[in-house]
Amino acid sequence: MDVLKVNDLVKHYGPVKALNGIGFSVPRGTVFGILGPNGSGKTTLLGIIMDVLKTTRGAYNFFGEGTGADTRRKIGTLLETPNFYHYLTAVQNLKIAASVKQRGEEDIDRVLEMVNLHQRKNSAFSTYSLGMKQRLAIASALLGNPEVLVLDEPTNGLDPVGIAEIRELIKKLHKEGKTIIMASHMLDEVEKVCTHVAILKKGNIMASGHVDEIFQHSDMIEIDASDRKALAAVMNQYPGVEQIREEESGLVVYFPPGTVTLAPVNAYCFKNGITLSKLLIKKKSLESKFIELTN
Amino acid sequence: MNTYRSLLHTEWLKLKHYMVFKLIAIFFGIGVIATNYIVYSFNKNVVGNMQGANMIGSFSPYNFDKTWQTTSYATGWLLMLPAMLIIILITNEFTYRTMRQHIIDGWSRMDAVRVKLAMVFIFAAVSTLLVILTALGFGFASGTSFSLEGFDHVGFFFLKALTYNLIAAFIAVWIRRTGFAIGLFFIYMGAENIISQLLDVWSMQLRTSDDIDLGTLGDYLPMSASDGLLTFPANPLKTMASSVMPTYNPWVIGAFAIAYILLFLWLIRRNVLTKDL
Repeated sequence: MDVLKVNDLVKHYGPVKALNGIGFSVPRGTVFGILGPNGSGKTTLLGIIMDVLKTTRGAYNFFGEGTGADTRRKIGTLLETPNFYHYLTAVQNLKIAASVKQRGEEDIDRVLEMVNLHQRKNSAFSTYSLGMKQRLAIASALLGNPEVLVLDEPTNGLDPVGIAEIRELIKKLHKEGKTIIMASHMLDEVEKVCTHVAILKKGNIMASGHVDEIFQHSDMIEIDASDRKALAAVMNQYPGVEQIREEESGLVVYFPPGTVTLAPVNAYCFKNGITLSKLLIKKKSLESKFIELTN
Repeated sequence: MNTYRSLLHTEWLKLKHYMVFKLIAIFFGIGVIATNYIVYSFNKNVVGNMQGANMIGSFSPYNFDKTWQTTSYATGWLLMLPAMLIIILITNEFTYRTMRQHIIDGWSRMDAVRVKLAMVFIFAAVSTLLVILTALGFGFASGTSFSLEGFDHVGFFFLKALTYNLIAAFIAVWIRRTGFAIGLFFIYMGAENIISQLLDVWSMQLRTSDDIDLGTLGDYLPMSASDGLLTFPANPLKTMASSVMPTYNPWVIGAFAIAYILLFLWLIRRNVLTKDL
């Protein structure tokens, strides 16, 4: 069963068309990435499904049941920016969030622990760094242990350690069976975390589906040796090779999807008098695929 | 839909640690007592000792039967304080984007409207309660016996408080920025006051030169309608002047005041329900 179904959604800001009749479904238990460059309509889309923006046309529903306030209470959401009262502490702010969500306050300590903010729980929000504000917003979304999370650019403002922690948290929540809808303009974030993706460009869905289907059209390996010309000549004779491209770091060799294994390549090169200094499997560059889809 | 109890509990969590709320509330409370005390002692010590005081009679504005009207009138001048607080509390929700977050977290837009309008009513009710207590205090201090005569002015005060708070709430949801909204509120107050006085002059001219009596036209504007219901207790000088004034129609002015209250309720509701947050 789908957690979210969006159908022919249109949003105009005067003459600007932010969304042009987009539609997709989010299956239960997935980490669904909404990927797109800045201004592609990601936040507008999430704003509409959370009822803070009014749609020009189209429909959407959660859990096949509707879109009212009762439904939104079952979803933990971080949309665009952390929104809290600057003069209140983390705990006081989360008490307000718990009251709005009609959840008990007993969950507050747990969620603050989850995002490593417990030590600063009694500090005013105004004293927090950008990363800490973002963590608090994620903690608020986790209040009441919701089955579905909607996270808009969840690693915004975090340092590399913080980014890694939040990614691990998302993976952990996914393993617990939760559905996570995540908007991002960061390609590697989507690649590392998401199981499914919809790619948005200027308010249109360019592609949607399983990450592997969208991003893995070819198998690629990267190889290198002291004599690259000889290596390229040898690899040209290897069965199944579609294309060889030279990059600064070595040669990238393309094969049909699901056909390449490393050991035979290594043995083949060795047999032809070449000792490989590098041999690794490489997915098709997400960036190049993203650019291909959005241009 | 959330219950009012749940909505107001959430609102209380925001207020109880908010220094600006505490300061304005204390300032208003002290201001009500201080303003009435100044009027009380001025009347007792200055007007009472003036030569010719006997000529205007033994007028004492805080005796029972007048204390309700005097306290309501004098306190009316301080209503910009709760109105300003309403503006700050509502625009905070836009500045911090917390109204947006409440909707995301599970309030309906109607919940957001209901709770803010409830606050508008509560602030007006608490201001009115303060007027009642102050009127009682100064009434007893004047050494007169308790009477409820003239208590209708407390009702007029409630209407005035409600009008000021609703105008403040409307400007806040419309402008959304604290500084601009407070500025516009005071500019509007000043502008309406000037227009109201010009209309009063015009209605007096119509009365005296053309013998046309359209009533006190200056009282038909939003703030002036509820202001117009609250007057300082009549004294002989004012009675003399009223012979050249257009007819004062409290029922018509009251109808305008209630119509404006309903209009602002509708405008606030429409704004929050239909606009992007």
